[in-house]
Amino acid sequence: MASEAVAHESEHHAPPPQVDADVVARELIATTTGASGRFKVWTWGLGIVAIVGVVALILKFIDEGDDSTKWGYVAAMVSFLLSVAGGAPMVAMAPVMAKANWVRPVTRIASLFSFAGIATLIMLIPLVAILPPLVTEGARRRTIWYLAPDYSPHFWTTLGLVLLLITGVALFYSAALPDFASMRDHSTGWRQRLGKRLARGWVGTDVQWRTLRMRIGMFGTFYFLILVFVNFLISTDFGQSMVPGWRDAIFPMYHTVSGFQAGVAGVVIALYFSRKYMKLEKYVHLDAFWSLGRLLFALTLLWVYFFYSSFIVFWYGRSANDIATLDLLIRGEMMYVFIAGVVLIWFVPWWILIWNKVRRGTGAMVVGSFIILIGLLLDRIRTFVPAWSVPGDQIHEKWLKVIPEAYWPSVFDILIIAGGISMVAVIVMLMTRVIPVLSVWQVQEFNLLAKPIKYIRGHATLVAKPD
Amino acid sequence: MTTAEFGSHNWGMVVDVDKCIGCNACVIACQAENNIPINTQDRVERARSISWIRVERYWEGDFPDAKARFIPIMCQHCENAPCEPVCPVYATYHNSEGNNVQVYNRCVGTRYCANACPYIVRFFNYWEPVWPESLRNHLNPDVTVRSRGIMEKCSFCVHRIRRGSRQARSEGHEVVDGAIQTACSTACPTSALNFGNFNDPNSKVSKMKEDQRHYTLLDQFATDPNVIYLAKIDADKKVGAGEAATHG
Amino acid sequence: MQQRRQLDQVYTNRKLLNGQLDTPKWWLPTVSVLGVLVLIGVAVISVMINKGLGVTGLARPVYWGLFITTFVFWVGISHAGIMISAILRLTQAEWRRPVTRAAELLTVFSLLTALVFPLIHAGRPWRIAYWIMPYDISRGIYPNIRSPLIMDPVAISTYLTGSTLFLYIALLPDLGNLRDRTTGWKNALYTVLALGWRGNPRQWKMQTVGGILLSALMLPIFVSVHSIVSWDFAIASAVEGWHSTIFAPYFVIGAVHSGVSAVVTMMALMRWLWKWDDFIRPEHFDALARLLIVVATGWLGFTFLELTFALYGQDAPEIALREMQMFQWPWNMLFIIFFLTAYAIPVPMWLFKRVRTNIALMFWTSILVNVGMWLERFLIIVPGLARRTPFVYTWEAYRPSPVEWTIFIWSFCWVTFLMLLFSRFFPLVPLFEAKESQVFTDDVMIGRAKVPAIVREAD
Repeated sequence: MASEAVAHESEHHAPPPQVDADVVARELIATTTGASGRFKVWTWGLGIVAIVGVVALILKFIDEGDDSTKWGYVAAMVSFLLSVAGGAPMVAMAPVMAKANWVRPVTRIASLFSFAGIATLIMLIPLVAILPPLVTEGARRRTIWYLAPDYSPHFWTTLGLVLLLITGVALFYSAALPDFASMRDHSTGWRQRLGKRLARGWVGTDVQWRTLRMRIGMFGTFYFLILVFVNFLISTDFGQSMVPGWRDAIFPMYHTVSGFQAGVAGVVIALYFSRKYMKLEKYVHLDAFWSLGRLLFALTLLWVYFFYSSFIVFWYGRSANDIATLDLLIRGEMMYVFIAGVVLIWFVPWWILIWNKVRRGTGAMVVGSFIILIGLLLDRIRTFVPAWSVPGDQIHEKWLKVIPEAYWPSVFDILIIAGGISMVAVIVMLMTRVIPVLSVWQVQEFNLLAKPIKYIRGHATLVAKPD
Repeated sequence: MTTAEFGSHNWGMVVDVDKCIGCNACVIACQAENNIPINTQDRVERARSISWIRVERYWEGDFPDAKARFIPIMCQHCENAPCEPVCPVYATYHNSEGNNVQVYNRCVGTRYCANACPYIVRFFNYWEPVWPESLRNHLNPDVTVRSRGIMEKCSFCVHRIRRGSRQARSEGHEVVDGAIQTACSTACPTSALNFGNFNDPNSKVSKMKEDQRHYTLLDQFATDPNVIYLAKIDADKKVGAGEAATHG
Repeated sequence: MQQRRQLDQVYTNRKLLNGQLDTPKWWLPTVSVLGVLVLIGVAVISVMINKGLGVTGLARPVYWGLFITTFVFWVGISHAGIMISAILRLTQAEWRRPVTRAAELLTVFSLLTALVFPLIHAGRPWRIAYWIMPYDISRGIYPNIRSPLIMDPVAISTYLTGSTLFLYIALLPDLGNLRDRTTGWKNALYTVLALGWRGNPRQWKMQTVGGILLSALMLPIFVSVHSIVSWDFAIASAVEGWHSTIFAPYFVIGAVHSGVSAVVTMMALMRWLWKWDDFIRPEHFDALARLLIVVATGWLGFTFLELTFALYGQDAPEIALREMQMFQWPWNMLFIIFFLTAYAIPVPMWLFKRVRTNIALMFWTSILVNVGMWLERFLIIVPGLARRTPFVYTWEAYRPSPVEWTIFIWSFCWVTFLMLLFSRFFPLVPLFEAKESQVFTDDVMIGRAKVPAIVREAD
């Protein structure tokens, strides 16, 4: 890794090379065809694991569909997949919010993740059927649904996830119009026909560009709102309200922020592999990794801050609620999972990402991202598995009187976890065959807006900030 | 109930709510024993009165079948006291005999402990305490007169505990059960208030707290109090007055 | 489009140093009046310390009232400085430049003011000073570091030290500038303060590196200060309205909301009083208002979560508390004013560019925000304590007394007084930042469009 970082050092200080717009279009569209043999092997392999995972999910539902205490790992998977696949497209929203130039080439790969929301939905289906009712033996458990009908958590969560998928795809599509037009003009075969169909007569008039920007802004805002809403529902209905006495106001926010963290980590990984194996070094500058690294670093710190804010209040509060919650989620049998999660989400990435040298390179960044994702999976497991292990007859108590035993994964659970993760990877990989992995028009825009200049005695970049 | 182990003593109280007649003798005894400033009308109206022990009165049922219920409340001397960790200067802490003690000398009057206490048994001295000339010589010399700006609360008559322990030691024996009494338990005409050592399995209070009527106040805060209540026996009802008080 | 014109450096110097080199006419009368008001406040505080806290309106169970609310308010305002100077510096937002000094100044002075309140609200303030600091260790008793009231002074004094250093480092080039333009005792003063600033490349590099390092180091402190203040409340499990896990980030984002609004208020005043129209421009208000929209909406989300999870448990005392806070007189009126002023009026107004670039409107909306944010703290602290739980036998006993109101007003006079005093001797807009922003901004032609651009140095 070190040698690579040193090798890129000079490149980093030099101004980014300017590439002709036509070359950009041709080269990027060429990446959709001609997959290497290794790519095909990986896609097939991961695809089979994904299918096995779905089969395991069906078998588990047939086998244990009546016992909610055994579904913690599936709940953890829903939360994890929502974090990765739902959080990643938020990176695509950054230019609208902050007018940052570095993010332009990255938006496409981020919004491809919204298709992976299908995996989240598949995992959610059995879980919705198994979620315990709001009212047990006449007693209503603590939820956000005070007087709402009993089906509310089931219905609204499903609706939220479906809406998230639709909005994500709409966000992807509205930003992809010019690229479909490019495919129409530069590609061949079914891709050209697809481009022609989907470009919907795009020629790039002023009105079309204005509409495009408005659509991105609108769907981006919607996406953000729905994402926060879905995170709120999943974390409360499928997490907190399963545990009597767990009342943690920051948990939805914590869940959302770790979702963004996972999203950025996912984008870094996808960007790394596509850059390396599709030879996109010319377009994905190290600047993007540098900025993503800073973002990831900030989100890592935010994660630990939110976690600590909730932990300290439980720790100091010491009321019966607080003690039971800590015993279940942190001090119980899940303690080592919890510690591993904290170390992998925060401590190790913190020490990796703090170095400028790491963020200027790519290798260590991708290792850090993998570590964060593993840590996040462990963190989801330590929250959702104990939460679901609370037996149904205790779920409506004021606080947990008896801490249930930990539920360790069965073969089914392991297959489901492997299958879910593979499915996300496969969906993103297949989408790169359909549309260029970097947005053609945004790479062109990136080149247009950033101009390398000589500044006093060094290099600098003149970045235009259009309103 | 109490979990922590102390030396030979873990002072505590068992309050038999069934025996309480609401006569307020304990309140008067405490007032006299502990040099508590006089609660003038003005102070009571402004909610600045000080009463280390109070008898709360609840009405159950509607007139004419209304029943008065009484429950004496003083500092619960919690093992897991919410007031202790919040004090910046260690003015309130747990001593080696299981009591939550207040060190007047160290207190700076942040009033944080009073906010943290769910039983509302901590009191703040807004003014310098004054007594009429005629009462000056009635003050108990064993008890500090608290100046303004500090917190105070029930001490389980810590000066009596000290004196009793000292006397027993000088006579060369253990403290005899019942030898040390608080002002309120001495004054109680019906023996509703019983003071003693929970670490002695044969003491009166240790036996009393094994009663199936026992409960503690506000168990949702997991404070683990050293004051144990015995529920009211009511021929008509299964649960007593204490139960009602606990769940508000 | 930015409304920008090229300003030459002589004009910049003359204009921005007008507070020091030729004092405006209104300065002396204003400062004198404020000085008298400050003295009155000090006298009232002395009387309170002499007589005891009986002169306040506090009564069981409301042991904390206006003083702690105002303490939290000023600590909140102090979050402006690091937000603007450090965070925007690290994220390379160009528009921060003319605002930085004012924001840092606000941090330092509001912290100084905030520190007064926990001291005077204690029963025996003369002891708190040396018992909270581990000075008198001959007794073998350390302060209780488990108590948030110990973490508070530690965090706040660290923040104050850091902010003062931050302010001072940014002041060095301007001090050098002043030294070269003054004579007599002033020259001597600036000579000492400028620490031999000559403006050579090494000094500039050190100054920049110092600023960036301090920014990074101050960030965790910035977050910790208001988090710890929030834990004063959040860890008390016996107070229903306080025991919420969201309090730390909720307080921090609320603090940024009120702090940045206070900076807007101050910028408008500076623009009017010293006629700095060329330096504090509508585009700066525009950028700050955009930032405020995001911050305020985030803050609203936290408010929503706080309320939702207050009711989440469906416990009777908690519901009773919220009912009092929102529906009972006089809290309901305060709650409505709070919601209108902290969010419902200003934020929809800021959505329009015409409001964002209108200085008078920005001035008044930013004041509204701070009215709302003060009420927010008041509504958390006082109804939270005046709660109706088992064994609470007096309710709503608290009415702030005239003494408390006087001290409350004193705090505002005191901060303004310090600010104006500072402006007499040091420039409120950093000269070097104003000049640097001239160099770092440019326009580029893209196709036929003229687009504002900024220069990014290689990292």
